[in-house]
Order: sequence, then C-alpha cells, then structure tokens
Amino acid sequence: MLPIELLIALVVWGTLVGVDLVSLPQMMIARPLVAGAVAGAILGDIPTGLKLGVVFELLQYDILPVGAVRYPEYGPATVAAVATAHAAPGGGVLGLGLGALVGLVTGLLGGLTINLLRRVNSRIVHAAAAQLESGDPRALVRVHVGGLLRDALRAALVTIVGLVLAGLARPLLAGALTVRGALLLAVAAVGTALAAGAGGTLRLVGRGPNLAWFAAGLGGGILATLWLR
Amino acid sequence: MATVNGALARALLRLFAVQGSYNYERMLGVGVGVAEEPLLRDLKDGQYGPAVARGAHFFNAHPYLVGLAIGAAARAEHEGAAPDQIERLREALCGPLGSLGDRLIWAGWLPLLSALTLVAIGLGAGWSAVAVFLIVYNIGHVALRWWALKAGWTHGTRVSVALHHPVLQKAGALLGPAMAFAAGAALPLTARYLTAPFGSWTRAALAGVAAVSFVLLRWRGDRLNGLRLSLGIAALALVVALVWQ
Repeated sequence: MLPIELLIALVVWGTLVGVDLVSLPQMMIARPLVAGAVAGAILGDIPTGLKLGVVFELLQYDILPVGAVRYPEYGPATVAAVATAHAAPGGGVLGLGLGALVGLVTGLLGGLTINLLRRVNSRIVHAAAAQLESGDPRALVRVHVGGLLRDALRAALVTIVGLVLAGLARPLLAGALTVRGALLLAVAAVGTALAAGAGGTLRLVGRGPNLAWFAAGLGGGILATLWLR
Repeated sequence: MATVNGALARALLRLFAVQGSYNYERMLGVGVGVAEEPLLRDLKDGQYGPAVARGAHFFNAHPYLVGLAIGAAARAEHEGAAPDQIERLREALCGPLGSLGDRLIWAGWLPLLSALTLVAIGLGAGWSAVAVFLIVYNIGHVALRWWALKAGWTHGTRVSVALHHPVLQKAGALLGPAMAFAAGAALPLTARYLTAPFGSWTRAALAGVAAVSFVLLRWRGDRLNGLRLSLGIAALALVVALVWQ
C-alpha cells in the first residue's frame, strides 16, 4: 500500500490528466508519455513511469480522435499502471505486465465514462435549451462550467478506481505469479503495444507518398538500433 | 483597440476550455458560445442576447482552430451581418476547420513530436525528452489558437482567406512526411528500449506476439482495436501464467 500522500498526489495528477484529454486545456499532459513520467516522478521511480508511458503511448497511436469517435482513455490509465508496476514485487520487467493489465482495464473504463459524460451533458444541454436560446450568458456559463466540473469528477473517479485496481493487483495477482508468469504477461503487453503502435502509425501514414518517408525512417531506426548494440 | 485586445485575450483564455461541455447535441456549441461572449459584450442590447444564443448553437471542428470561427462570427455580428448569414458562415466552417486541424495537429504535429520523443527516449534521453515535448508542442498549440482567433476577427465573413494562409499550406505539406519519417524511426528504437531488460527467449516470444497481433489488427481492423486486442492477449497470458506454475 502506497503512503496516503502519494495516493493523493496520484489522484490529483490523474484528475488533471483526465481533464486535459478533452476539456481543459489540451496541453497534452494526457499523453501517456507525460502522464507516466510525472506519475513515476511522484513515486520516485521515473524509469518505471517512462517505460509504461512508452507502452501506452504506442497504444495511443491506435487512436485518431476525430469528430465524436469513441476511444479509450490512456492518461489516468497510465497513472494507475505506473502505481501498479512500482508496487509490484521485484518491480522493473516483472511489474511491467501487471501494470499494463491494470492500465488497460482502467483505459477501457475511462473511455466508457467519457461516452457516459457526453450523454449526460447532452441531456443537460437539451433541458437548458430555452435558457440558452434566450441568450442569457449566465445560463451559458453555468451549463459549460457544470460540464467541466463533471469531467473533473469523472477523471478523479477513474483514477481512484485505477488505483484501487492497482492496490488489489498486488495481493491478488502479484503473489500468485511466478517470475516466468510475470514475464509472460510483460511479453503480451509489450508485444501488443508494439503491434498497435505500428498498425496505428501505418494508418496515419496511409498508402501515399508518406509511405516512402516511413520506410526511410524505419530503415534509419533499424540502423541506429544495430549501431547501439 | 485596447478593449478589443482585452476581449480577444479573454476569448483566448476561454478557448482553452472550449470542449468543457462536449455533448452529442451541440458538440462544441456551448463552449464556442462561452468563448465568443467576451467579443460580443459591446453589441447593443437588442443584438447582444441573440448573438450569444447563436454562438452556442451546434458547432463541431478541431478545438485548436475553433477560434477562427469564433472571431469571424463575432466580427460579422459587429458588422451587422444577417443572422442567416452568420449561421451559414458557422456551418460552412465546421468541415474545413475540422479536416485542416485533424491533418495538421492530430495526424501531423502531435504524432511527429510524440515520435521524436520516443526516438529520444530510445536513445537514452530520459524524462528531459518528455519536458521538451511538452514545451515545443505547446508553443505550436498556443500560437495556433491565438493566430486562429486573430485571423477570424480580422477577416470576419471573408475568413476563408485565412484558411489559404501560406504557412498553413507549407505546414500541411511538411508535417506529413516528417511525421512518417519520425514514426518509422521510432518503432525499432522503441522496441529496443522496451525489450532491453528481456532475455533472448523472451525477445523471441515478444517478436512472435507482436507479429501475430499486427497481422490480426491489419486483418480484423474493422472489429479489433489496440485496446481490445491487448486486453484479450493480456488476459490469455494471465490465465496461462497462473496455470503454468
């Protein structure tokens, strides 16, 4: 169990991250890379934060948030994932798979709550239609600020649920897994994240002239990887 | 002039929360109305209320470029344009501002910087790469929001001129290839970074999982996404791990 002050800091950070995704101010602290690195810093474990940030950043490539498309929410999910991995016995690679599993469930939950919030907002806007049509700026601001506050509450709840899952994962799963089992989970998480990152990137790049640039970059990346060995 | 700049600054601040009440009925409409309101305050009594109400009607576009529509609609209200004309202007801007923003930001600037950050982390830069990502990304983000609002206010109903700004055209042409190159370079370096602590058999298993997952995502992309696939394979791995003691 993490100390209460760290849990509070993680809930505050997860809430800020959750609100940043859509509502305010979209400065991209919701990107898993940022959410994970700061969660790691809060826990005094930046390497774990960065590692899980990279895993969920790859998964984020699978999402193109155009129009009203529904998508999972990986910001608070990354915070919960980092908390899980940090607390897992052995940490490092052994915590990676368990952290990713908790993060994936939290990401799914976050996406569902975003859709639910938009439906609730729709009802409230519909109910306030007469006031909005009257041109009353106070009614307009009231409806808008209400939406913002509901999103903050939603993000806080998602983060709290993620941290509860993180707390449960340790006694329920971490103790039951052998080192080999934890490695298997990490392989599954990292492998699928790499596939989702590659698939999402290719969808962004398309089949036009950018594909040649992608291939050139891939070649350069492979050369750099070989050179670093 | 100072009053206009003050109103534009207030509108800009409100623009950062333009999606705060996102909903399926008016989409960004309520947030757009809230952001536009400071620019309408010096309208006459009979004009102010209807203009505020119009501002909160249905609107959907890329959030960073919404300022262009807000500035243009507010300017049109000040110039006494007919309500129908202002509604048509707003409707006409939804599509272009959405597609331009998606192309420039969601498919260009953001994945480019994200991929460069992954490259930097893969090369050992650590958390400082994340800090640089946040700073550089937001220089572009804030500049685009401010430019869009100013351009909308400057051009009013002739705002389509701003959409053909040479910098936007140039950025659109450069960001696609740059993003593709950076994303290509990021993949192997990220794979190396994530698999560094694994042993050789684990790496082989990981390559197999990644290959099968990639094929499944390409083959069943209409039904399967990264989250569903990752959850499914992780759950399967967990069951195997618990049984295979």
